[in-house]
Amino acid sequence: MMLRSLSNVWKGRWARLLVGLLLAEFSVCSVFLLMGQTGSRLGLIAIGGIAGFGLLRLAGASRIILRYLERLATHDATFRVLTDVRLWFYRRLAHGAAAGLGFRRSGDLLSRLVADVQSLDSLYLRILVPLATALFSLPIVILVCLKGSVSLAVCVGIIFCLTAFVLPTFMAKVAYRWGPELQRTQAEMNSQALDLVGGMRELRIFGQEEAIKERFLAAEQAFYKTQQEQGRAMAHVHALSLLLTRLGVICALGGCAGLFFPKEQAVTGITVLFVVMTALDGIVDLPRAGLLYGQVRHAAERVAEAAAMPEGTPPEGNVPAPAGYEIEARNITFGWTDDKIVLKNLSFRLREGERAALIGPSGSGKSSLAALLLKVMSPQKGSITLGGENISVIRTEMLRGKIAWLSQASHLFDDTIRSNLLLGREGVSEDAIWAALEQAQIVDFVRSLPDGLDSWIGENGSHVSGGQGRRIALARVLLSDAPVLILDEPGTGLDMETEKAFLATLNTLDRSRSILLITHRLTGIEQLDHLWTIQDGILTSHAL
Amino acid sequence: MKADKKMLKSWVRQQNRANRPATMMMALMGMFNVLVGMVLIWSLATILAEWLTGGDRINRYYLLLFILSSVVRVILGYGQELLAMSSGEKARKRLRRELLARFFAQGPALLRHQHSAALAAMLTDRVEALEGYFSRWLPASALWVVAQWSVVLVVFWQNHRAGLILGGCCLFLPVFQAVFGIATAIASRRQILALNRLQVRFLDRIRGIATIVLSGSAEKDAQGLGRAADELRQRTMKVLRIAFLTSASTDVAMIVALVWIVVDQRHGLLHAGSIPQVTSILFAVLMVPEAFAPFRALSAAYQDRAQITNSGEAIQRLPNLPEWAKNEASAHPVPQRKAQGITLDVQGVSYRWVENRPLALDNVSFHLDAGDVALLTGSSGAGKSTLIEMLLGFIRPSQGKVLLGGIDLQDMRPADVTRQISWIGQKPVIFAGTLRDNILFASPDASEEQLQAALEASSVMAYLPHLPDGLDTKLGEGGFGLSGGQAQRIAIARAFLKDAPLLIMDEPTAHLDPATEQEILVSLRDLLKGRTALISTHSSQFHKIGETKRLVIKKGQITAEEVLS
Repeated sequence: MMLRSLSNVWKGRWARLLVGLLLAEFSVCSVFLLMGQTGSRLGLIAIGGIAGFGLLRLAGASRIILRYLERLATHDATFRVLTDVRLWFYRRLAHGAAAGLGFRRSGDLLSRLVADVQSLDSLYLRILVPLATALFSLPIVILVCLKGSVSLAVCVGIIFCLTAFVLPTFMAKVAYRWGPELQRTQAEMNSQALDLVGGMRELRIFGQEEAIKERFLAAEQAFYKTQQEQGRAMAHVHALSLLLTRLGVICALGGCAGLFFPKEQAVTGITVLFVVMTALDGIVDLPRAGLLYGQVRHAAERVAEAAAMPEGTPPEGNVPAPAGYEIEARNITFGWTDDKIVLKNLSFRLREGERAALIGPSGSGKSSLAALLLKVMSPQKGSITLGGENISVIRTEMLRGKIAWLSQASHLFDDTIRSNLLLGREGVSEDAIWAALEQAQIVDFVRSLPDGLDSWIGENGSHVSGGQGRRIALARVLLSDAPVLILDEPGTGLDMETEKAFLATLNTLDRSRSILLITHRLTGIEQLDHLWTIQDGILTSHAL
Repeated sequence: MKADKKMLKSWVRQQNRANRPATMMMALMGMFNVLVGMVLIWSLATILAEWLTGGDRINRYYLLLFILSSVVRVILGYGQELLAMSSGEKARKRLRRELLARFFAQGPALLRHQHSAALAAMLTDRVEALEGYFSRWLPASALWVVAQWSVVLVVFWQNHRAGLILGGCCLFLPVFQAVFGIATAIASRRQILALNRLQVRFLDRIRGIATIVLSGSAEKDAQGLGRAADELRQRTMKVLRIAFLTSASTDVAMIVALVWIVVDQRHGLLHAGSIPQVTSILFAVLMVPEAFAPFRALSAAYQDRAQITNSGEAIQRLPNLPEWAKNEASAHPVPQRKAQGITLDVQGVSYRWVENRPLALDNVSFHLDAGDVALLTGSSGAGKSTLIEMLLGFIRPSQGKVLLGGIDLQDMRPADVTRQISWIGQKPVIFAGTLRDNILFASPDASEEQLQAALEASSVMAYLPHLPDGLDTKLGEGGFGLSGGQAQRIAIARAFLKDAPLLIMDEPTAHLDPATEQEILVSLRDLLKGRTALISTHSSQFHKIGETKRLVIKKGQITAEEVLS
C-alpha cells in the first residue's frame, strides 16, 4: 500500500521512534501503578489496615518524569521523520518535475500536497503512539481484572476492545469514505473564492458581485453540509465510546459489589475499579485517532501518487558533458502524448556562439523544443546532440549546467535577490552579479533598494513588479556559466523600451555564448545568425 | 507596531463579543456537565464507602443515581459536541460574510494591495482555521476558572483538609504557568513562526521546483532544506524542553494533590471508619481529576488560540476603507448616453497609492467627446493603470474630478458608473462555468439573438466548432483551457453584449502574438463604433484603429496630446 513507501522513509529513524513508544508505554504503566496504589491505599485506610505510601509516591514521581520524557522523545522523533519525509518528497518530485509537473499542477494543488506531507506527522504522534499504548494497556487491565474474577476480565476486555479498536476502525472507514467528498466540496469553495477575488474587476464592471457571492456562499454551504455529516458521525461514535466506558466502570463496580467475586477482597476490588477507570479514560478518545487515520490515509495516498515517477522521464545518462556546445537536432518528432504531435521531423543546427530566433504563434511547440533540449522529455523520433554527444547519454545535471533556460514560468523564490540569482551556487563574485543585473536592465532598481542584493523579494516576487521580477529571472540566467542560453519570451511583462534595451544588450554579449531566442515577434533590434519560424510543427529556416 | 497590536486586540475582542451567546451556552452546558460529574462521583463514593465499611449489599438507590448520572453525562457530552460544531460553523459563516462585505466595499482596488491568492486564502483557509478557536478555545477559557474552583469548593465543603490541599495545588497552576509559561510563550510564538516559515519555504521550493531542477541544482537545494529543517528542530526542541515543563507542572499539581490527599487522609480515618467520612475521602480523591479537567481542555485548545492571532493579523493587513466608501451620497444622478457614445472629462486629477511615495497621477486633464477614440501610451509605471482604475470608479481622485456625461463620478452610485462602461484588460478572468455563462455574465437577461450577435461580432463563432461541447463547454479551473486570443474574444463578446457607451481597454493585446493581435483588432474596430473609447497600449498596431486622439503619459503627467482629424 502507499503507506509502505512512507514506512521506508521512517525506517531510518526506527530507534528514535521506538524509544518514544517505549517511554509512552512506561508512562502508561506508571499511571496504572499510581491509580492502583491510590485505590488500594484508600481501601486499606478505610478498613483500618496499615498502609505504606512509598510505592504511591514513587508511581506519582515516575509518572511526571516519564510523561515529560515521552513528550520530548515523541516530538523529537516526529520532527526528524517529518524532515525526512519532506526531503524524500522533494527529491522524488525533483525527478518528476523535469517531466513538466511544475507546469502542469496548479499552485493550489501544490500547496495542498505540501499540507498533506505536513499532516503525515500525526501518523506517529496521534495515531500510532495512542494505539500502541492502548494495545499495551489491554493485557495489564486484563491481568488486574483476573485478580478479581475471570468473568470481570472478559467483560472489561470486550468493552476495552470495542472502544479502543472496533470503534476507531469504524471511524477510520467513515472518515476515509467522506474524504473525497469533503475535499471536493472544499476545493469547489476555494475555486469559487478565487473566482470571486481574482475576477473582482469583471464582477464590478458587469454588476455581478451579488451573483457570484451567492455562488460562493452556496459552495460554502455544500462544504459545511458534508462537514456536518462527518461531524455528526463522529459525535455519535464518541458518545458511544463514552457510553461503553461507563458500562465498563459499572461492570467493575458490580465486581466490587460482589457480583463477580466474594466481597472480602475489598482492597482488591477497589484497586481493580481504579485501574479499570483509568484504562477506560485513556482510550475514550481513540475514535478520534481513527478519524484522523482516515484523513491521513488520503493524504498519504496523494503524496505517494505525486511522488510516483511519471512515465516518459528520459534516462539519467552517465557520460559527462563534452566541452563543445554546438547543438544539432536531427529529424525530431515529438508530442506530449502520442496522438498529439507538436513537432514534425524537425532539424536545425546552432553552432557555438551563434544567435538564433525561433518564432511562432503560441501553442506551436516552441516551448516543447526547449523542453527537449533540456532533456525534460525525449523525442519520439530523431536525436539531439550537444558537442557531438547524444544528449540522452549525457548526465542530466551536467547537461542542464550547459544550457540555461529562462522559461515563461521561471519562479522567483521567497528569498533575497542574491539567493534568487545564485540558486545555491557558490564562489560567484559581486562584480559578476552586478554585471548580470546591468545586462538585465535592473541594476538601477536593485541599487535603489536599501538592502541592495540582500533585499527580500517576497512570495513569488510579490515585493517587486512583474517586469522587475522578470528581469531578475533574466539576470539569473545571464549569471549562470552555461555556454548556451535559451530565452523563452524574455519580453513578457516588459514595456517596449525596456525590452528593446535588453535585446540591445544581448547583442553586446560576448560571442562565446550561443543564444536561442524564442518569441512570437521580433522587434528589429536582434542581431541574428538564423531566423527560424515554426508553424503546425514544421520548422522553416529563413534567409536573413 | 503597538497600534497594530491594539487594533488586533480590539478585533479579537469584537469577534469574541459576536460569539458570546454561543460561548455562554457552551460554557453553561460544560458547567452543568461538571455538576452532574459531582453527583456521579458522590454516588460512586457512597457505594464504595458503604461496601468498604462492611455494608452487606450494594445500595440500589445510589447505584441507580450513578447509572443515571453516567447516562446524563454521555448525553451532555454529545450535546456539547454538536453545539460546538454548529457554533463553530456559525462563527465561520459570520466572519466570512463580514470579510465579503469588506472586500466588496473596497472594490477591485484591493487587488492593488494584495495578491488575489492571498485574499482568496483569507476567505477560505484563514476562516476555516478559526473553527477550533470558536468551538473549543472560547468555551474552555470561559469555563475553566469557574469549573475548577467550584469543584474545589464542593470538595472543601465535604472534606475540609482535602479541599485545602486541592485548592492549594490549583493555586499553583497559575504560578507554574507564570514561571515557565511567560518565558516560553514568547519563545514558542517565535518558534511557531519559524516553523510556519519553514513550511512556507518548503512550499515555495516545491512551487519553483522546475526552475531549480532545470538549473541543475536540485540536490544542493535539498541538502540546504535538510540543514534548515534540522537546525530548526534543534531550536524547537530547546523551546519544547521548557514548554513541556508547563504541561508537566499541571501533572505535578494534579499528582501532588492526589498523593497528598491520600497520604493525609489516613490521619482522619484511623479511628473512625464511619460511612460519611469514608465517603468524603473517596469523593475528594475521585474529584481530583475533575478539578484539573477544565484546565486540561484549555491547554489542549491552546493551539487554536494562536490561529486567531494569525488570521487577525492577515485581516488587519487589509487596507483601511476609504472614507467615501463609508457614506453614500444622497442624490444619484445618471448620465445620458448620446448616439455617438458619451463625453468624458478628466479635470486635474491627482492620486497616490501609498503615502510618501510620488504621485501616481499628477494633475491629469483631458477631454473626450462622444465618439472620440483615444490612445494612451506610456512606459510601465507611468500611471496608465491608475488612470484607468480611476475612470472605472475603483479609486477616487485626491484632487480634481472625473465627469462622465457631464456628471461627477463621485456623485454617482458605483453600479451606475460601471453601467456606462465596458472594460477589456490584458487577460480576462474566465470563471468556472460554461462558455455561455462566461459571456452571458455581462448581461444575464440577454436574449438568444443578442448572444448570437455578440458571438458573431467577437468572432467567438470562429473557434466555437472546435470546442468539445460548443457553448456548453466547461471553462475555468479544471475545465477546457482556452488560448490567450480565445479568452480575449470572450472579453470582447462580453463588451458587445453589455453595449456600454464608454469603452476602456488596458493593453488588450499585450499577451498575444502579432497574427492573433491582427484578428482581434478587426473585432475591436467593430466594437468601437458608436462608443467613446480610451485604449492604453504599447503596440503600434493600434495606430490604424481609427483613433481621434493620442495621449502620452509620463510619471503621472500627460506630456503630449495630439488631436487627429
